[in-house]
Amino acid sequence: MQNSTPKDIGQLSFGLMQPEEYREMSATKIITADTYDDDGFPIDMGLMDPRLGVIDPGLECKTCGKHSGSCNGHFGHIELAAPVIHVGFTKLIRRLLRGTCRECSKLLLTEDERDEFREDITESRKLGRDLNDVTKAAIRQARKKDRCPFCGEIQYDIDHEKPTTYYEVQQVLTSEYSQEIAAAMQGEGEDAERMSPDELAEQTDIDLTRINEILSGSFRPRESQRKAIEKALDIDLTEEDTNKLMPSDIRDWFENIPDEDITVLGIDPAKSRPEWMILTVLPVPPVTARPSITLDNGQRSEDDLTHKLVDIIRINQRFMENREAGAPQLIIEDLWELLQYHVTTFMDNEISGTPPARHRSGRPLKTLSQRLKGKEGRFRGSLSGKRVNFSARTVISPDPTLSLNEVGVPDRVAKEMTQTMNVTERNLDEARRFVSNGPEGHPGANYVRRPDGRRLKVTEKNCEQLAEKVEAGWEVNRHLIDGDIVIFNRQPSLHRMSIMAHEVVVMPYKTFRLNTVVCPPYNADFDGDEMNMHALQNEEARAEARVLMRVQEQILSPRFGENIIGAIQDHISGMYLLTADNPRFNETQALDLLRATRIDELPEPSGIDDEGEPFWTGYDVFSELLPDDLDLEFTGTVGEPVVIEDGQLIEGTIAEDEVGEFGGEIVDTITKVYGNTRARIFINEVSTLAMRAIMHFGFSIGIDDETIPEEAQSRIDETIEDANDRVEELIEAYENNELESLPGRTIDETLEMKIMQTLSRARDNAGNIADEHFDDENPAVVMANSGARGSMLNLTQMAGAVGQQAVRGERINRGYEDRTLSHYEQNDLSAEAHGFVENSYTSGLTPREFFFHAMGGREGLVDTAVRTSKSGYLQRRLINALHELETQYDGTVRDSSDTIIQFEFGEDGTSPVKVSSGDDNDIDVAQIADRVLDTEFESEAAKNEFLSTSSELTNLSEHADNRLVEGSEVTSDD
Amino acid sequence: MVDVSQHELVPEHTILDEDALDEVLEEYDIDRTDLPKIKRSDPALPDEAEIGDVIKIVRNSRTADQAVVYRLVVE
Repeated sequence: MQNSTPKDIGQLSFGLMQPEEYREMSATKIITADTYDDDGFPIDMGLMDPRLGVIDPGLECKTCGKHSGSCNGHFGHIELAAPVIHVGFTKLIRRLLRGTCRECSKLLLTEDERDEFREDITESRKLGRDLNDVTKAAIRQARKKDRCPFCGEIQYDIDHEKPTTYYEVQQVLTSEYSQEIAAAMQGEGEDAERMSPDELAEQTDIDLTRINEILSGSFRPRESQRKAIEKALDIDLTEEDTNKLMPSDIRDWFENIPDEDITVLGIDPAKSRPEWMILTVLPVPPVTARPSITLDNGQRSEDDLTHKLVDIIRINQRFMENREAGAPQLIIEDLWELLQYHVTTFMDNEISGTPPARHRSGRPLKTLSQRLKGKEGRFRGSLSGKRVNFSARTVISPDPTLSLNEVGVPDRVAKEMTQTMNVTERNLDEARRFVSNGPEGHPGANYVRRPDGRRLKVTEKNCEQLAEKVEAGWEVNRHLIDGDIVIFNRQPSLHRMSIMAHEVVVMPYKTFRLNTVVCPPYNADFDGDEMNMHALQNEEARAEARVLMRVQEQILSPRFGENIIGAIQDHISGMYLLTADNPRFNETQALDLLRATRIDELPEPSGIDDEGEPFWTGYDVFSELLPDDLDLEFTGTVGEPVVIEDGQLIEGTIAEDEVGEFGGEIVDTITKVYGNTRARIFINEVSTLAMRAIMHFGFSIGIDDETIPEEAQSRIDETIEDANDRVEELIEAYENNELESLPGRTIDETLEMKIMQTLSRARDNAGNIADEHFDDENPAVVMANSGARGSMLNLTQMAGAVGQQAVRGERINRGYEDRTLSHYEQNDLSAEAHGFVENSYTSGLTPREFFFHAMGGREGLVDTAVRTSKSGYLQRRLINALHELETQYDGTVRDSSDTIIQFEFGEDGTSPVKVSSGDDNDIDVAQIADRVLDTEFESEAAKNEFLSTSSELTNLSEHADNRLVEGSEVTSDD
Repeated sequence: MVDVSQHELVPEHTILDEDALDEVLEEYDIDRTDLPKIKRSDPALPDEAEIGDVIKIVRNSRTADQAVVYRLVVE
C-alpha cells in the first residue's frame, strides 16, 4: 500500500514517442522468436524474458523485484531491420508528403501563407473549433504549388495505395512520342490539313534537323520542346510513371522538415516529430498484457499478441540475414513488405484491403486495436462499464407493509453482502456479537481485518474464538441488517428515479420486496421483473445516498415538478370507496381502517346513529392522515370540488387527482409545504388506509359485472343495425355519385370519413346504452371513475361493442385484391367487410371480427416495439450530448471546458421541484409571508411590534442613500 | 427582402459596447471566446455587427419573463 496517496492529474498531453524513448523504457532487447526452452524456462532476450514482468505467482520480477499482481510488467523492444510505417498515421503521412517539398522538405507555402494559417490555428484553438479544418486547408493550398517556393524543385503528385504504400507520380515523355507526333501531323479525317516538318519547326521554334530527329525517334525532346510540340499540335505526349517511396525514403524526407513548418500544421515539434511516425524500433508489450495460459495437458498456449510478435521477429531476422548475404533487391523488397504487413497487423488486424492475420485454426488474431475497439473493447467494456462486487439481483415482489423507503432483502442476500464496520470501544460488543454469529447466523460477519492489514475469514469453526480477539481498531465485515442503506435499481435506467436508495429490511424467502407505491418511478411490475441492489462500502457514500437518493427525496419529479410517487391502482379504488359516498363506520371498523397508521386513538365521533352508537365517516377517517393545518381547495377527479380546511376533508371524493402518482394534488402540496418526510408518512398511510378500506368493502370484478340485460342488448343491436343502414345509405349515395365531397377531400375520402364517423358514433351510443345499466357501485365503473385503472371506453368495449378496427388510422383495407378477406365480394364497402366489430368482448367476436381485431392489435404491438427502440436511441444521443453539462454555483450551465451553455439555468435559474408549477396556481406570497411571520413570533403582540417598527432616519450623507431620507420619494416607476 | 429583425419571433439583437462587455466577462469570469457563438451571416444580426463583436440578445422566456444571452460573432 505504498505510494497510494491520491494525486491530482494536472495535465495530459498526447504526442508521438521517439525511438530513443522506446529504447530507454525497454527492459530488454528482444532478439529470439522463441518463448520457452525445453525445460519450460523462459529464454533470455526472448518474448517471455523474465525482465518483462511476472505472471506466475510466487516468482519475482527481474526488473523491479515485485511479485505478480503488484508488478505491472515492463516493455521490451525489437530493433527493426528496416523502418516500417505505423498504420495509425497513414493519413497524416500522406498529408505531409503532399504538403512538403520532395527535395528540401520545406512546407510548400510562402511566408505570408504560413503566417495566415498559424493565425487560423490559434484562432480555432481559442474558439474550440476543429483544428483539422485549418490544417486540411493548409495542405490543400500547399498541394497547388507546382514548384517549391524555396528551392524551386518540381513537385510531383503522391499516390497512396492503402494501407501503407506511397508512390510519387511523375509525368514523363511517352515512349511512343515519334509515332504520336507523326500521327498528329498527318491530321484526322479525309480533308484534314497535313502539317509539314517545316511548319512544325517554325511554330515550335525548334531546328528542322532536330524535328526530323525527333520524328525518327533518335532524339528525345527536352521538356520545353515537348511542351512546344504539344501546344502546336494540341496533343498530350506524357504518360504516368510511378516511383515507390520506401519507408526509409519517407523517414529521410520527414527528418528534414523544419520545426517551424510543422507548427503550421498544428503539430508540436517538441512532442512529435513526423519521422517518428515511421517505426525503427518496435516496443514489445509486457508479458502481463499478453499472458500465456497453461492448458490441462501441460501445453502452453500463447496470446495472440505473442504469436504476432513471433512473426515479426522471424521476418526481421530473415531480412537481416538476407541483407547481409547481399540478396537481390527484389527479395529484400519482398521481405520488407512482409515485415510491414506483420507490424501493421500487430497494431490493427481489421484494415480494409489487407487480409487479416489468422491463427492456425483460421480465426483472425485479436491484436492491439481489436482490444480497444467496440462495445466489448477496453474503453466501453472494461473502463466505462465494469462488473462490481457487493451487488445482488433477484425477482421483485410487492409488500404493502413496508414503508416506501424500505426494501425487503432476502436473508441469503443479506448474509452475502457486507458492510465494513470500524471497531471502536463503543461498538466493540456489537462487533463481537456479529463475529460470534459467524457467516451463517444472520446478523453475522464474513471477514475481519486486523490492524496489521491481515484479512481473516470468519468460519463456523473459528467464529467464537475470533470474536474474543476483536478489539478496537479492527474492521469487521458484517452482514446487512435492518436500517442499512442500499442502492436499488431497475433497468432501463432512464431517469434519476430509476436508481434510489432504500433502507434494508431483512426477510425470509428469495425475492426483493418493495412497496407498491414505488413502482411508477422504477416502472416496475411483478410479472417477473428483476432488480439490482448495491451495498454501499464507505461512510461518505452511505451518507450521500441517505441524504440525496432515498426514495422520499425523490417524491417530486424534476420532469414536471410534481409528485411521481403516490397511491396507485387499488389504493385509489380504496380511497374512492372510502370517500365517494362518505360511508359511516362504527368504532371497531374505524380503528381497523387506521390500524396500520400512526393513529391509535380515534377523534371525536362524527355523530351518533339511530341506535345510539357513535360513528365515524370516511371523511373523518381520512382526515386523520392529513396535517392539522392543511388548507386546500381544488377541482377533483370526479369533477367536483375538493375542500380541505384545517386538515379536515369537508367536501369531495379522494381519488387519482387527489392522492395519485403523477401529480396528486394533496400529495404534491404536502411534499412542498410540509416536506418529504411528512409526504412519505402520508403516502404510506394513505396506501395502508386504502388497502384496509378496499378490504372492508370488498372489491372484485368478474364477467357478470360487464353483462347487460336482454333489453339493453337488443337496444344496442338496434343501434348497430341503424348504423349499418346509414352506412349502406352512404355507400348507395356514393355509388350514385350523389355524395358531396368535403372541402379538401376526394369523394372516396369523404365516404370513408363519413362511414368512420357513423360507426364511431354507433359504438359510443352502444356504450352509453350499456353504461345506463351499470350502477356507480359496479367495480369497473368505480375503477374508471376513480382513475384507478381502465376507462369508460374499455367498459364500452366490454359491454357495448368493440367498434371499428383500424390500421394506420384507416378502416382495414388490406388483404386480397379489392377486398379484405375472401368472405366478402370485391369492392364491398360495408362496415362489416372493413373491420367493424359489432360484438362486445363479453358477447364474443366472430371469427372474421377476431381476425380484424388481431390486425389492429398487431399494429399496436409493432408500434410500441419500434417506439421503444427509437426513443432509446434518441435518449442515448441526448445523454451523450448533455452528460457533461453542469449547473455552476454562479447559476450558469457550462460544459467541461467551461464554455457557457446557458447563462441562467432554464433561463429563470430555478429547479422545477423547488417551485410550485402550473400556470393556474399563482404563488401566494401573502400566505407564505404570514406563515413565516407566524412561526417567527411567539405572540401576536411581538409580531405586531415587528410589523409596526419603522426604521430610524439615517444620518448618512444624502448622496450615499437617499431612500431613507425623509421627503425623498422614489421617482422612477420601475 | 424581408427584414427578419422586424419579425415578432426574432428577439432583439444589440451590439454590446466594450464597457458592458467587460462587465459581462467579469461577471461570468470568462474570456470572450468562451461565449456561445453566432455566425456573421445570421440574418437576425444588426448590419453593423462585425466579427469579434458580442451581441446581447433579449428574448421572451417561458420560465422567466425575459432572458438575456450573449453571443460572440464569428466567421
